[in-house]
Amino acid sequence: MKKYAGVLIAALSLLGGAVPAMAHHSFAAEYDANKPVTITGTVTKVEWMNPHARFYVDVKTPDGKVTNWNFELGAIPVLLKQGWRKTSLKEGDQVTVEGSRAKDGSFSANARRVSLPDGRKVFAGSSAPNADQ
Amino acid sequence: MNTNRRELKFAITLLTIPAIAFLALPLAAQQPHKAFPNGVPPVKARKPPAPPAGPAPKAEDGHTDFTGVWVLQGSTTIPAEPSYQPWAQKLYEQRKAAKGKGDPESLCLPDGAVRVTALPYKFVQGPKMIVVLSEGNTHSYRRFFLDGRKPDAQLDLDPAMYTGVSIGHWDGAALVVETVGFNDKTWLDPTGKPHSDAMKLTERYTRPDLGHMNVEITVDDDKALTKPFTFKRVFTLAPGWDVEEYVCQAILDGVEQP
Amino acid sequence: MTAALFGLDPIGESKVKKWIFSASVAGVLSLAVIALAAPQNGSNAATPPARGRGRGGAPRRGPGGPVPLLSDGHPDFSGIWNGQQTIAGNDVTSTGPGSSPTTGVPPMLPWAAKVQADRAKNQFADDFEARCLPGGPPRIPPYHISLFSTPKLVLMLFEGNTHMYRQFFVDGSDHPKNLKPTFYGDSRAHWEGDQLVVDTIGFNDISWIDGQGHPHSKQMHLVEKFRRPDFGNLQIEVDIDDPGTYQGHWHMNRVTTIETGMEMTEYVCNENNQDPGHLDHANNDGKHP
Repeated sequence: MKKYAGVLIAALSLLGGAVPAMAHHSFAAEYDANKPVTITGTVTKVEWMNPHARFYVDVKTPDGKVTNWNFELGAIPVLLKQGWRKTSLKEGDQVTVEGSRAKDGSFSANARRVSLPDGRKVFAGSSAPNADQ
Repeated sequence: MNTNRRELKFAITLLTIPAIAFLALPLAAQQPHKAFPNGVPPVKARKPPAPPAGPAPKAEDGHTDFTGVWVLQGSTTIPAEPSYQPWAQKLYEQRKAAKGKGDPESLCLPDGAVRVTALPYKFVQGPKMIVVLSEGNTHSYRRFFLDGRKPDAQLDLDPAMYTGVSIGHWDGAALVVETVGFNDKTWLDPTGKPHSDAMKLTERYTRPDLGHMNVEITVDDDKALTKPFTFKRVFTLAPGWDVEEYVCQAILDGVEQP
Repeated sequence: MTAALFGLDPIGESKVKKWIFSASVAGVLSLAVIALAAPQNGSNAATPPARGRGRGGAPRRGPGGPVPLLSDGHPDFSGIWNGQQTIAGNDVTSTGPGSSPTTGVPPMLPWAAKVQADRAKNQFADDFEARCLPGGPPRIPPYHISLFSTPKLVLMLFEGNTHMYRQFFVDGSDHPKNLKPTFYGDSRAHWEGDQLVVDTIGFNDISWIDGQGHPHSKQMHLVEKFRRPDFGNLQIEVDIDDPGTYQGHWHMNRVTTIETGMEMTEYVCNENNQDPGHLDHANNDGKHP
């Protein structure tokens, strides 16, 4: 994983009031908290829909190849409470995402923290155990 | 050369096993469940009783009271041919030709604020809000806010909804409900009449007598229409009825029978 | 690309070979991941309480102030309410649709214990929440609810899950005979002082009581007592009797606070549900998971 050393983000909480930790599904059935990923790339698509908002990121590996990752965010009601809006993330934005890899091996992950284009670092409404929402 | 062929054979063998395993996994993309891959069967409407006679009741605050269980009289197809812009007309023709294939209602997605089913709707009225409970479609609700709010706060959170945000005000005995904030994902009726996310809806509800509720509906959509269109619906009161449970998604998923 | 991701060198120079190698490596690794992931004792009960707000800590408190009244003098519960927290003493034990252990579970009949254990072994992958199917009471609905009080009928509107509704008839009527089993049951309510006591029967047996996969039978009898001690707080006492599933009475206390910062959104669970495709299922025949 040397070629793939991610940039660890020192996450700052932008949260004010309490957000109830709600899970649409069992985190452990779909994602592995012991398989962290940190990805930097360009947003290719944002699906501002339920049950989880999603965004897709093109990631260039050092040899120039591109992988498209599917990141799962929290549900829209949870994201809204954290200050996300439909237009917070747009196609073309550069982001860095920390998350937990999907168990089925696909290029998808449950996002825990996202570094937004405007410099803010926000929690992603993750349903992971120990995730600060 | 030999090394490469051997390695290639090995790689292909490696590929075959997980390929078989992958085929056994459920498909990743969202799609109708196996029980009804082409959408749930249409629901049989129950024949409502004859509407009772008498004067329309008033709520505690003196306004017309729309509380009750209501059933659409007549067809769910809009009795008007909207004047569509070319792209929307083309889409309408495609959907008509497809005869209901891809109908979002059959895939258990919301009807939105224009399309209705033949199943009952229950209006529950309070001074600050009227809630409309739907038996059919997604067995969900609309809220008509009567507290003088503007739609802006809702639109900030939810700019593009299936059912929009509905603000009502009284015009004498009539209730006027204005709804904005639509996405373009619903059909206006079973024939597939399209609309865009610019749609603005005005509904004018009146209750001429105990047993009838009339609605005059105006659809304004400057991205899809060349001009607004208006049509009327009549609902009859079904005393003794309530909205029963209908869970489209459970039928689609195979955990309940249609 | 996959090869580079895993720090391995592709075989040969041909693009086709590279692709085959990459795909097969991904395939084998995925298979390994699935094989490792499947039979685990993954009950969420083993997960330590989250550091976040809620679980393990004190419950949230809403603002004080007088309770609005209906025209008949009874408390008006109308408002948007945050996600409920189940409490034991002054500690929150579960939130939301119940992804952490609920309290007070009585001993289960053997069939129920087996069903619950199977669900836990399968990482709760077949949870109705994940499949956009109704949670049904007494499961805590996710996100917000809106309560709408009128003198003869109180509505509970759900933001999340299937965005449906419950009706509590406060008109003195009894449960109808020959109820068809449903996800939400039939609820008849009456006032006891400032508490609205809601009695619900007529459940089907397919929904989960919580995220831990606790089942219930059609015999479930649910009593919920709603009390609004002040403007910003709501208490719900939950009492479950289900002799078809549990040997004993199940009591839980829940609290929630009024939402002042936002409206309820239109949450359509099944508009983009990609989870079922990724969840590792042991059994996905859609029947009584």
